[in-house]
Amino acid sequence: MTFEDALQQALNGLSFGALLFILAAGLSLIFGMMDVVNLAHGAFYMLGAYVALSVTQATGSFWVALVIAPLVLALVGLVVEPLLIRRLRGRHLDQVLVTIGLSLVIADFIRLRDDWGWGATVRSLPLPAGLDRSIPIAGSDYPTYRLFVIAFGAALAVLLSVLHRRTRAGALVRAGVGDAEMLSALGVDTDRLFTLTFAIGAGLAGLAGVVAAPVFGLQPGMDVDALIYSLIVVVVGGLGSLSGAVAGSAVVGPADTFGKVLFPQFALALIFAIMALVLLFRPTGLLGRVRIGR
Amino acid sequence: MGERSDRAAKRGYRLSRRAFLMSTSAAALAAACAPAATGGNAASSAAATTAAAAATAGPALKIGQLLPFTKVYAELGNSMKRSTDLYLKLKGNKLANRPVTVIYEDEANDPQVGLAKTQKFIDQDKVDVMLGVVATPIAYAIRNAVDSAKMIYIATNAGGNALTRTTTDCKPSCKSPYIFRTSFSSYQISEPIGEYLAGKKGVKEVFTFVADYGFGTESQADFTTGFTKNGGKITGSLKAPLGSADYVPFVTQLKAQPTKDIYSFFSGADAVKYIQAWNQLGLPAAGYRMNGAGFLTEQDVLAVVKDLANGAITSLFWAVELDNPENRAFKDAYQKEYGRLPDVFAVEAWDGMQALDQALQATKGDTSDKQKLIAALEAVKFNSPRGAFEFDKDTHNPIQDIYMREVKTSGGQTVNTITDKIGRVTDPGK
Amino acid sequence: MLVRATIVFVAWAALVTFPQWSGSWESSRFAAGVIRQVLIFAIFASSLNLLVGYAGLPSLGHAAFFGGGAYAAAIAAQRLGTDQLVVSLGAAVAGGALLALVIGFLAVRALGVFFLMLTLALAQMVFAIAFQATDLTGGSNGFSSVHRPVLFGLDFAAASDLYVLVCVVFLFVGLLLWRVTTSSYGRALVGVRENERRMRALGYDTRALKLSAFVFAGALAGVAGALSSYEFRFVSPNDVALGTSVAGFVMVLIGGAGTLVGPILGAAVVLLIERVLPSELPAQSVLGIVFIGFVVFARQGIVGAVRRVVRA
Repeated sequence: MTFEDALQQALNGLSFGALLFILAAGLSLIFGMMDVVNLAHGAFYMLGAYVALSVTQATGSFWVALVIAPLVLALVGLVVEPLLIRRLRGRHLDQVLVTIGLSLVIADFIRLRDDWGWGATVRSLPLPAGLDRSIPIAGSDYPTYRLFVIAFGAALAVLLSVLHRRTRAGALVRAGVGDAEMLSALGVDTDRLFTLTFAIGAGLAGLAGVVAAPVFGLQPGMDVDALIYSLIVVVVGGLGSLSGAVAGSAVVGPADTFGKVLFPQFALALIFAIMALVLLFRPTGLLGRVRIGR
Repeated sequence: MGERSDRAAKRGYRLSRRAFLMSTSAAALAAACAPAATGGNAASSAAATTAAAAATAGPALKIGQLLPFTKVYAELGNSMKRSTDLYLKLKGNKLANRPVTVIYEDEANDPQVGLAKTQKFIDQDKVDVMLGVVATPIAYAIRNAVDSAKMIYIATNAGGNALTRTTTDCKPSCKSPYIFRTSFSSYQISEPIGEYLAGKKGVKEVFTFVADYGFGTESQADFTTGFTKNGGKITGSLKAPLGSADYVPFVTQLKAQPTKDIYSFFSGADAVKYIQAWNQLGLPAAGYRMNGAGFLTEQDVLAVVKDLANGAITSLFWAVELDNPENRAFKDAYQKEYGRLPDVFAVEAWDGMQALDQALQATKGDTSDKQKLIAALEAVKFNSPRGAFEFDKDTHNPIQDIYMREVKTSGGQTVNTITDKIGRVTDPGK
Repeated sequence: MLVRATIVFVAWAALVTFPQWSGSWESSRFAAGVIRQVLIFAIFASSLNLLVGYAGLPSLGHAAFFGGGAYAAAIAAQRLGTDQLVVSLGAAVAGGALLALVIGFLAVRALGVFFLMLTLALAQMVFAIAFQATDLTGGSNGFSSVHRPVLFGLDFAAASDLYVLVCVVFLFVGLLLWRVTTSSYGRALVGVRENERRMRALGYDTRALKLSAFVFAGALAGVAGALSSYEFRFVSPNDVALGTSVAGFVMVLIGGAGTLVGPILGAAVVLLIERVLPSELPAQSVLGIVFIGFVVFARQGIVGAVRRVVRA
């Protein structure tokens, strides 16, 4: 591999990592706040992508979809949380289990809705105008959309971190991660807080659906792929913290990319091996606060 | 399936009601006209003819169609179901004078489920013949079951070579007297283009890049056979896991090596991502040329990538643009019924029904004598939308023309333009 | 006790003779095939139930041991050139247990949902190997033409003979699980589920307890996998895939976790929805909704619901 090629692949790995961060952010948020691993995260992502497809077709604008799809998914979250998650409060495992059922239903729903232009056909979200070309970098053409993805991922990380540290909502979230019961004792409406958290997490999944769909495409099964990638990212990085999601995607993105290039025969198993290794030596994940066990 | 099958069921119901109305009104019309001409006697004779026709209609023919209606290949299954329904509709829902019932089952892209449903066709539904299956592993999985049950099975997509070949220990599969195929073998869509590129196009070197699963590996090997036979040289190869999220790292590698002609096997979503990455990294401008087995640029892919695929050369046994009377008629009928163009999967299913139909005509609708039906199927010859179609009597794989197609865009339409044809390609059978 | 044993034995005798007494029914052959599959998946679900229902270990990667066992049985029989049941079934038990030991070693340190995620991801690694190690497993094309086994002179090639084999293994596994869950070991597992800290204080090595349960369940899942390879004469990466793990989990939860009968009922319900009812039914939606319904309203599954009705 020449230096230029290595540079290109590093860029590929970085942009892939940025996509993984956008993908995993919502999962990490919901977990950190509510202790719920939302296994419908992949299905939310998929739904976000298909909503974006419809919005793009109707309005012709990627940017409108970038606003609408997360809002629609946040709405879905607003409905789902009180309906299914809240009534299982205190039964953590059951909260996770209902999200499995939910993901089966959502994926099947999308398959059945070919009258909405969804269905099982291969679809793709067109690249937004202006970001659909390539520019020369390191002696070769590089797609501007992937550069945009890197910038977008970084901006999202900064935005979430500012919200987390500097706002009242962030303070509540930080306190909630520490001790939800204490918050409740202090008179904070935790029901509302959790519903809101879940909605924002779902919205982030929808956002990932819009941003990642032009690269990953839209097809049946995309929900499972996305879920597994985001689980790996949050486990490697450390569960439930924003910095963990950043670290996880920064490791998994490039590792997966270089792994595929250097050891193609192990391509599928590689990221799982990385995850196992990290857990063996750092059971909390790279930056995790919570040990996953003892 | 809820909505869709509801609608399908309603459509079926409407159809049968319409058919009923038509037949009863025809009878009424005959009855109304007849007395005027020859008096009361004729009326009763007309009624007698109708009764006689009903009496000669054979016993119901049960067809089991095993198709994917869920998971990644669901749309392929839908397309093949549409084609089957259309064929039967145009034939008045009768084959060789036997009224037809089709039972559709979902193989869910899972060999276990496919086998369980096959067993249902055999033991429970007791179907007379069985068709379908998209994914090769499922065809391999059900091979022994249909063979030992002496169930005639027409594979309408699964293209793994071994299904119609002689192999050691029947691994991963092997031919059976009871199995026919109206689609293709991966040899047929991969080897001829190798010969063609090295021979007619004078390409000296090719780099291969395929999906890392059974079918991709097979296509790569068959292409290599054809290409090296005519003196071409394979300079290297690369594989991407099936369903890879990101194709840019692979295409970066393609660009980092000097051979300009690339041969690929990808389909569906993988093909879309590959072609998009190919353009984003500027491979056309850098002089790289895309070649592949036909599914790389079939309609499902072109509908998404459009002119990004321009210039790609692929080989397949059909193209929607193929200009022959049968294809024109097929396209018209399909378009009229469903408001969209048929795809290659529709053609495969259509020819499955067509082959069955013709064989049944020869046996006068008899499906109980398996050897007779096998002989009739082996003798089947017809003009398919793809051109002349017949089975290789030795393997039961089709003997068919393979078309070289180039992707071109004109007037906003991106299509596979046929540039050449390799006549009567037969699978070697071992 | 005696009454219960008699009921179980009579029910089993009725089951094993089903092909005989139903012989005149038109659907007898098909039904016997469905029963074989239900029993195979009942073993699979029961083994998972030992983890989910008794030890409180929510494994979402149990297909790794089912498929691993199926591959081990098929590969051992092929490589060693024998159809002896002891060889292939032994290989499946060893394969399932060994995989469970490796995955369990990494996973039992984790708790609750962490455990669930780890088992999911590690099982995906097994899937990746099954899919890519073509020389060993046949890769995506699957491992075909698996031979049905013989036990010394007995040949289980015919469907009717295989039926008896499946019934016998099912009974054996059922009795084994009954014995284990009612033993002091089984009570210790429940103790770990209820209060691990307390169990540790009482001097139990809880991690070893959990790991041993994980390995035992893996071995039993391997048995189910071997039977599946005889039944279908085919092993594919799907048998190791997430979908199979989820199906197992759904079976346990719908039937009733922590009960011996529950997983058997759950296996019957899931297979009925996925494989027997007409394909027009959107099976995944139905499964998803049924599953949510049980988790939210009837966490004790069918068995729990029936108990409630009986008591009321």
